[in-house]
Amino acid sequence: MSPLRIEDLGCRPYAEVLELQRELRRRRIEGELDEDVLLLVEHPPVITLGRGTRTSSLPISPAELRRHGVEVFEVERGGDVTFHGPGQLVGYPILDLRGHRQDLHWYLRSLEDVLIGALGHFRIEADRNPGLTGVWTAGRKIASIGIHVKQWVTLHGFALNVTTDLDRFDLIVPCGIRQVVMTSVAAELLRADSEGLMAEVRERVAGSFCDVFGYSVIAGSGTA
Amino acid sequence: MSTKVVMEALSPTMEEGRLVEWKKQEGEAVAVGDVLAEVETDKAVMELVARAGGTLLKQVVQAGTTVPVSELVAVIGEPGEKVEGPAGPPADREAPGKKAAARTQPAESQATQPTPDRNRPTSMPPASPAGPAADTNGQPAPASRPPPPAAPSGGRVKASPLARRMAAERGIDIATLPGSGPEGRVVARDVEESRPTAAKAGPAAPATAVRVPAGQPYQDVPLSQIRKTIARRLAQSIGPIPTFYLTTEVDMERAREAREGLLAAGGEKVSFNDIILKAVALALRRHPECNAWWQDDHIRYWNEVHVSMAVAIDEGLITPVIRHTDLKSLREISAESRDLAGRARERKLAPEEYTGGTFSVSNLGMLDIDEFTAVINPPEAGILAVGRMAERPVAHEGAVAIRRRMRLTMSCDHRVIDGATGARFLQTLKGMLENPLAMVY
Repeated sequence: MSPLRIEDLGCRPYAEVLELQRELRRRRIEGELDEDVLLLVEHPPVITLGRGTRTSSLPISPAELRRHGVEVFEVERGGDVTFHGPGQLVGYPILDLRGHRQDLHWYLRSLEDVLIGALGHFRIEADRNPGLTGVWTAGRKIASIGIHVKQWVTLHGFALNVTTDLDRFDLIVPCGIRQVVMTSVAAELLRADSEGLMAEVRERVAGSFCDVFGYSVIAGSGTA
Repeated sequence: MSTKVVMEALSPTMEEGRLVEWKKQEGEAVAVGDVLAEVETDKAVMELVARAGGTLLKQVVQAGTTVPVSELVAVIGEPGEKVEGPAGPPADREAPGKKAAARTQPAESQATQPTPDRNRPTSMPPASPAGPAADTNGQPAPASRPPPPAAPSGGRVKASPLARRMAAERGIDIATLPGSGPEGRVVARDVEESRPTAAKAGPAAPATAVRVPAGQPYQDVPLSQIRKTIARRLAQSIGPIPTFYLTTEVDMERAREAREGLLAAGGEKVSFNDIILKAVALALRRHPECNAWWQDDHIRYWNEVHVSMAVAIDEGLITPVIRHTDLKSLREISAESRDLAGRARERKLAPEEYTGGTFSVSNLGMLDIDEFTAVINPPEAGILAVGRMAERPVAHEGAVAIRRRMRLTMSCDHRVIDGATGARFLQTLKGMLENPLAMVY
């Protein structure tokens, strides 16, 4: 098992981290990087459109969103549209699945396990929703997952709402009427002390990630 | 010698994959290891890689198609080599390398074992290149897979899948668009900024046996200058949907009498909500200006009435749609709303059952809410919030009387509906509920 390097990037623009991910993956594929990497980051408000995006998922046009200061990116990951913003812990694992299992569904389920495990530490009972990839608690969606794989090396990952302003999901999922209700760790715990909570969650997610994927050592975090 | 490319299993539990995007076009050279296409399974996208070199002779499926694992998706071979025509490209779709009449030449090597295929003959007798294959060999046409629609003239245009879908929905030929993405790739923004040539999207066909009048189900009306100004200024003022609210109180005594009369006559139980749904549909029929979708650069006025009803479920809220609400009897509406609400709670609704509404109704009366404002479900332009029916002292025919009253609040998208327009609709609705005979008038 290769070691895992965890990079805590703080709050960084989406475009910048997208570049970084792609570069890390290129290096991982070409053998310049011999360890798996987990990037943990928060983004300023941004909407990303996965390969499964239906036009109906974006009731507000990208042009209008940009006018409201929300950037829109079309990216290579699977899944429909999603929102990232402050208070959301986003994880981008750059893993060579040949060192784990060459099985996309196993990888998706493992990412779900990572988050379910981390949420367990906060006594949030989270679970899967068969057929609807992501992590759910009491029917509400708390984390989204969407990935892209090239030569069995992964890109993109998961987004866990910690103290996310859930109203922002209205930009893509019209409130009032919609099948999916979003939630966050703070909303489930009825907690408002966002600063401490994010750090706690980040630590739990990193730990759970190592448990699920079987990394025994967390390599020291540098700056990417 | 040609090589078959099949949908690969990217997981032991993968049964099918959606071919998201072709990365190589027909006629392009392919080397071993080149990315041919992207495949989506679950929320994962992975690249489909060529296991043989040569020329991509044929894309058997179109981007966006879901294909069972091991089924044929493409053929790689020598340039100019003929390929058998399984699902058959549309006659007007000619790629370099197969201009001559199609001759049978079974593929000889293949990287993966395909499952037996009920749709695809393994070899085919010579067929005329233009005509449907089934006619010439006297066999029934393959029934279970319709031929892919003719590729737009931009079959070789580089474009993102979302851009392609948006263009198709808007009736735009993607080949006519300048691409602003990498290598001139057309992305969603390019489609969005182009002018639509025709609009085609609409809600799913009704699943009921209602007789639907012929004709176009809606009318697209370009925005007038004043509409554009109203839209821009009001949206600036209060967010993307400039909403305003209209409230009226309705006397429900006669609706109650009518309902009890129906019950006494041995009819099946009809709820007040059913009566409201029916009245809303008929009022919309009389006020089509409220039965509309905001479409950014035009307004779609629906000629059909499909009322969405908000149903509370464990996970939140969902709005099943009663199609052609105005054409259905109260009894039909009642049965359908009961069925939809029940299946909504069990999460058994198909997507087409909760999309495509033209106006929504949300009722919190059973939870003792006197009145409330509901959030518009875009692109619909209006939603009606129904409060509880309660006995209230009101002035009635010169005296204070206790009457059953109910408050209705309509949320209106001001880009579509103006104050007086919404008010007239509510007035009609109120009239119908206060005098149910007006519904059949």
